[in-house]
Amino acid sequence: MKLFDPHIHMTSRTTDDYEAMAKAGIRAIIEPAFWLGQPRTKVGTFEDYFQALLGWERFRASQFGITHFCTIGLNPKEANNPNVAQGVLDLMPHYLGKDGVVAVGEIGFDDQTPAEEKFFAAQLELAKKFDLPVLIHTPHRDKKRGTERSLAVVKEQRFAEERVLIDHNNEETLPLVLATGCWAGHSIYPNTKMDEPRMAALVKKYGPSRIIVNSAADWGVSDPLKVPKTAIAMKDAGIVAADIETIVWKNPIAFFGQTGRIVAADLASNASYDQAELFEGNSVLRGQTPART
Amino acid sequence: MTVFLDALPATANEWVVSVAADDRLALLAAFSGAARAVGKEPCVVPGRGTWGTDEVARAALLVRGAASVSPEELYDRGDNRERQAVLKALPLLADPERFLPLAIEACRTNVLTIFEAIACENTYPERFFPELNFNQMVLKASFNGVALARIVGLAARKNDELARMAADFAAERRAAGRPVPADLSGIMKEVAS
Repeated sequence: MKLFDPHIHMTSRTTDDYEAMAKAGIRAIIEPAFWLGQPRTKVGTFEDYFQALLGWERFRASQFGITHFCTIGLNPKEANNPNVAQGVLDLMPHYLGKDGVVAVGEIGFDDQTPAEEKFFAAQLELAKKFDLPVLIHTPHRDKKRGTERSLAVVKEQRFAEERVLIDHNNEETLPLVLATGCWAGHSIYPNTKMDEPRMAALVKKYGPSRIIVNSAADWGVSDPLKVPKTAIAMKDAGIVAADIETIVWKNPIAFFGQTGRIVAADLASNASYDQAELFEGNSVLRGQTPART
Repeated sequence: MTVFLDALPATANEWVVSVAADDRLALLAAFSGAARAVGKEPCVVPGRGTWGTDEVARAALLVRGAASVSPEELYDRGDNRERQAVLKALPLLADPERFLPLAIEACRTNVLTIFEAIACENTYPERFFPELNFNQMVLKASFNGVALARIVGLAARKNDELARMAADFAAERRAAGRPVPADLSGIMKEVAS
């Protein structure tokens, strides 16, 4: 089974990770622009970061047969920094038209301040102008309220809900998102956010439609193999293979492919892969004949 | 200069011409979006080999918009494929020696496809690179497993210092028990018998 991790911060990861990801069946990834674990002090460092996402990181991924896309945006944390926020917003039109950019993001709320809301709304406008979907981060603290407010901003701005992915959902926020036309992302983490068995339980309850899973692996304690591990957990929980494939491959392509900048056929023909490869002693397959290209 | 425009298929040609040459923002947007507008199918540029249609369209936009946008800014803010198009187009722009700092900087990239765009099947280094930069480029090509036959004018630019660098590189490889690229001997000095 081909896998797509639509949220992973590869600039923080090693080539060992790329190798393990390719071996586990990950064929395509999206690296959302986010913060770097500490605040930046200059607009210029954002520009260098955007260029790394479109340049060196794309090439690095390609060396492992993985197609790399990114999202470009001013993240909610740094929207609060008046030294950089407006400058980054002004930079974005230079980058949103690139082939490797498949959404505006991560945007949304962190502390849920007025500055965050202002730049959230401004970036929804930019997304409309560039005909791009948006990736919306939801806060760690006061998450349910933050999610409700995010959905409200989307409505106020009359942004097309089928072009919105609300990320980092849990048991409390998922029904709120599915009640709208928005898509729902889940970040599978070693300790926080969401884990594999809980994710499998959510899929059993709500089905695969508009559901996306990702590793959100970055510079913190996280795991770049969480998408393959979640695929196995879903299989073990008795979820049918077609639904798993919808979640770990078809859904991210359907959502981010709304740009016309992801061509599924290109991903399929890209690198060779071998499903018989094991990862951590487990095959992502359960009794099926491994496919090879 | 219409070499790029003339090389394009009719629909791609019309698309390039439809972008106003004095509209800076439209040029920048078209340069980024060229692959989605005209595709990446092979397109022959007479005397310069086969490029992607998007690369030829980007080169044509660069030539037409030369008064409004510069190769340097398109390179600086370009993704990998945009950067490759700028580098391939350099020798065919007016007064190409102006772009020497850009061409030399491009050789410092770690992205192999960008390095190849300036170093391989490109007349620019042969015509304009000082010896030090030309030699460094040749050695980097060999180091990265790029066939030296792809460097235009290598025979004409061979020099003693390059021969020494190649011999030292070969010795370093042998000492490490690693294979020496077969084509390296072509730039080493012939030993008088």
